[in-house]
Amino acid sequence: MIDLVAEGCAGAARWFDVIETETSHTRVSFKNNTLYSITSREQSGVGIRVNVEGRTGFSYTNDKARAIDAARRAVECAAFGEEEDLELPSSAEGIFNPYDTGIEGFSLSSEIAGIEEAVASIKNRFPSATVDADSSCTTGRTRILNSRGLDASYQSSIYRISISATIVMEDGSRVDVWDGFSTPAPASIQHLPEAVITQLGNALTVRKIPSGAVPVLFTPKAVARLIGILTAPLSASSVWRGISPFTGRIEERIFNPAFTLRDDPVLADSPFSYPFDDEGVTAKTKDLVACGTLQRFITDLRHAARLGISAEGNGGRNYYSLPSPSFSNVVIVEGREPCSSLMAGISRGILVDQFIGLGQSNTLQGDFSANLDLAYLIENGTVIGRVKDCMIAGNLFSLLAGEVVFSAERERRGSVTAPYILFPSVDLIG
Amino acid sequence: MHDNPRGGQIAQAVNEARGVLNAAACDFAEIRLFAGISNTITLSGSHIESFSVGESIGGSIRVLRDSAWGFISFNDISQLRKRFSRALDIASAAPSRERHAVANMPAGRASFETIMARNLETVSPAEKLECLQSYNAILRSSQSIATTRATYHDTAGRYAYLNSEGTEYTYDRAYCGISLSAIARDGSRIQPFSDSVSGYGGFEIAMNREDMAERVVRTAVDLLSAESLGGGIYRVVADQKLTGVFIHEAFGHLSEADFVFENPRLREIMVLGKKFGPDNLNVIDCGTLKDCAGYIPFDDEGVLPGETRLISNGCLSGRLHSRETALKMGEEPTGNARAVGVTHQPIVRMTNTYIDNGDRSFDEILDAASDGVYACGVIGGETNLEMFTFTAACGYEIKGGRIGKIYRDIVLSGNVFTTLTRILMIGDDRRMFGGLGGCGKAGQSPLPVSFGGPHILIDGVMIGGNL
Repeated sequence: MIDLVAEGCAGAARWFDVIETETSHTRVSFKNNTLYSITSREQSGVGIRVNVEGRTGFSYTNDKARAIDAARRAVECAAFGEEEDLELPSSAEGIFNPYDTGIEGFSLSSEIAGIEEAVASIKNRFPSATVDADSSCTTGRTRILNSRGLDASYQSSIYRISISATIVMEDGSRVDVWDGFSTPAPASIQHLPEAVITQLGNALTVRKIPSGAVPVLFTPKAVARLIGILTAPLSASSVWRGISPFTGRIEERIFNPAFTLRDDPVLADSPFSYPFDDEGVTAKTKDLVACGTLQRFITDLRHAARLGISAEGNGGRNYYSLPSPSFSNVVIVEGREPCSSLMAGISRGILVDQFIGLGQSNTLQGDFSANLDLAYLIENGTVIGRVKDCMIAGNLFSLLAGEVVFSAERERRGSVTAPYILFPSVDLIG
Repeated sequence: MHDNPRGGQIAQAVNEARGVLNAAACDFAEIRLFAGISNTITLSGSHIESFSVGESIGGSIRVLRDSAWGFISFNDISQLRKRFSRALDIASAAPSRERHAVANMPAGRASFETIMARNLETVSPAEKLECLQSYNAILRSSQSIATTRATYHDTAGRYAYLNSEGTEYTYDRAYCGISLSAIARDGSRIQPFSDSVSGYGGFEIAMNREDMAERVVRTAVDLLSAESLGGGIYRVVADQKLTGVFIHEAFGHLSEADFVFENPRLREIMVLGKKFGPDNLNVIDCGTLKDCAGYIPFDDEGVLPGETRLISNGCLSGRLHSRETALKMGEEPTGNARAVGVTHQPIVRMTNTYIDNGDRSFDEILDAASDGVYACGVIGGETNLEMFTFTAACGYEIKGGRIGKIYRDIVLSGNVFTTLTRILMIGDDRRMFGGLGGCGKAGQSPLPVSFGGPHILIDGVMIGGNL
C-alpha cells in the first residue's frame, strides 16, 4: 500500500498519510414482534492525505486496487488545499486491540432465540405491545501509514443490541421505550426485557404537571444526548473558529466543582476505545473539565498545529474524510449520593429519559429546548406516572455552573459514561 | 450518458446480475449497483478546510426466499454469482415466523439521466472553488461574523437496478448543492444561521446564489441582538419552509406505511377517510418533481413513483408504500421504498412532501393572526409519531396583524392527531425547499427529500423557552 501511494505521489509529497479501514457487519432485525431480516455488510476503503509544497489535498477510494489513482487525485487536490504543516507521528505506543475474541461466537440462531425470548416476556406482560429489536456484530481493522514510517493497525469488535416496545392507545397516543447496550463481545441480554417492562409500566399512566420551574433528574441515557451540547465547544475546531464560549478560559473555574468531564480512549470494556487515533497519534486519557475547572480542548493534528497545543489522540475520521477533533469515550465522573437518595429528595419533579428535537436550538451558547418523548413525574421521591405533551428549556452551561448533583451510579450509554444528574430548577412548559 | 469512468465496470456487473437473476431460485430478488465520483469543498472563515475528490463503488443483493429476507452489501461488485448464493444462505438462516411477501409489478426497462445545464465533469475544480469562495466572501462581509462554513458537494455516477421480475433500470445521476453558514458573535452571544440548496442537475444548482449568502449573513447579524421568545402556547404563522418541515414531521412520517402496518391499533386509527384537518387541507407526496431534492425516476424496489395524495379535503386519502407494505395492506405500491445508498436496504420514505395551496394571501393570514408569532426558516424537526417538534431559525412578533421585532430560534411542538385540526388558514404561495441535509430514519441519513407549502396559520402551538 505504502509503495502504491508513494508511487501515486510521484515524489511530489512533502508528507502523506493513509487510512485503511475494513469492516464486516452482520445484523438481525426484528420488527413487529417477529424476525424481519438478516443483513450482512462488508465495507472497506482507503483515504490518502498528501501535502504538496505546504498544501494539503485529500482523496479516497473503496477499491484498494485503485489506491494509486486516489494518491494521484490527492496530489491534484493539494493545489487547491489548505496551507499547513503537520507533525505526523512516526510511531504509536501501547498498541492494544479493542477486540474481544468472544465476538467470534456471535451466532444468528442464538441471537434470534434470545430476542424471541425477550419478545415473549415483554408480550406476556403487555400483550398489546409491539416489539422491535436489532442485534449486530461488527468487526473491523484500522490501519494508519504515513511518510514518517508509521505503519500501525488494530482490530476492533462491537456487539450491539437494542430492544424497543411500543404501545399505541385508542386515541393514537403512544408509549415508546427502549433499552440496549454495546460491548466488545456478545453479552447476556436477560436484563433488557425487564428494563423495557419497567419503563412501560411506569409510562402507562399519564400525569399532568403545570408549567413552572421544577427539579429535573436526567437518566444516564438522557445525559448521553444532552452532553453533546457541551462537548462541541470543547473541541479545538470550535476554539479555532472563534465560536467556543470557552476560548481563552483554560484554568478558569467555569462549572460546579463537582463536575469532571474526561475523554478516555482506553476505557475498559468499551467498544469505543482505541490505542491510537485515525492519524496514528497515541491516545491518552485526559480531563477536559476537572472539578469544575476547564483544563484543555480535544484536538486533531491540524488544530494542534493551529493552536499550538498538543495532540493526544482525538483525530477522528472515516476513510472518506479528513480528520477532525472527536471524542473517544466521554466520561462524566460520578458523585457520592445514590440515585435513590436524589429521588427521595424530590417532592415534585420529573425524571427525563428521552427527548424529541433536542439539539435544534442555539446549542453553541448552551441553550436547549426539547419535547419530552419519555419522562416521568416524581412525587415525594416516587415515580407515579408519565408526563407528556410538554417541553423543557434551559441553558446547559449555566445549569452545570449552578447547583447540580451527580449520582454515585453511572452507566455507559454508547460512548458516553454518565451518572444520573439532578438540576434543582429547570423550566417546564406544559 | 455521462462520461463515467466506472461505467464499464457497472455495465459488466449488470450483465452478470441479469444472468444471476434469470436463474434465481427464490420468491423475489433484486440487485442494486452504483459507481460514482464525489467532490467536496469546505471553507471555514479564511481557510480551505478540505478539498477532496473520491470515488465509491458498491452494490447489494436482497432476496426473499421462503418468505424470509436476506440482504448483503459489498464494495467489490465483481463476483455477483457467489454473493447471490450467500444472500440466499442468509435468508435461509432466518426461519421467519411471519410470511413476508411483496406486491408484484410488471417488468420495466428504461434508462434515465439527470439533465445538466452545466455538466459537473466539465467544470474545473478551480471554478468550483472560486464560486464557493465568492459566497464565503459575502458570508464574511460583516465585522460581526466570527466564522463561516461554506460547503460545496457534488456527486455523479451510475445507478443500476435489476430484479427477478425482469425489471432493469439504469440512472446516470448527478446531484449538486451548497450549504452556507455564518456565525455572528458579540462577546458571549454567538449566533449561527445557515441555508442550503441542492438538487439533481449540474453546476447550475450551485451558481448565482449570492442572494442566499447575503440573506444568511444578514440574518445571523440581525439575530445577534434578537431576544428569545418565552415558553408558552402561541398562535403561529409558519413561512413556506417551516410549513414544509411541519407537514414532514406532523404527518409525513405517520403516512409511512411500515409504521402503520406494524401496529394493529394504529391501523384502526389510520383508516382512509378519517378526518385529520380542515376541509381545505391537501397534503401530497410526489417523487416525480424533477426540480426537487426528493426526485426519483424509480424507487429502490424498481417501482415508478407518482403523486400520492395523503390528505384530500382534510381526510386521510393515501399513504406511502413499499412493495411489502402495499401487499400487506391491500393497497398499491407508491414508489416510496428508498435507501440512502445501494449498500442500505430500502425502507418506506418520503420524497417531496407538501401542503398544497389554499386561497389566502399572506396579508390575510397576518391579519387573521392578529397577535402571535411569525416563525421562519428551519433548523430541524423530529417526531415520535405522536408528538413532534419543528424548529424555526428565527421568528417575528405579530401584533395587530403587523410584523414586529425579531426573535431568535424557536422550538415549536405539537401532536400529530390534533395540531393539523388547528390549521386555521392556508395561503396561496407554496414554495419547495431541499438542501444538502436530508431526512433520517432507521439509521439511514441523510436521504435527500424536499418539503414545502404555502404560509399557514396554526392555533395553539407549544413553544419551548424560558418562563
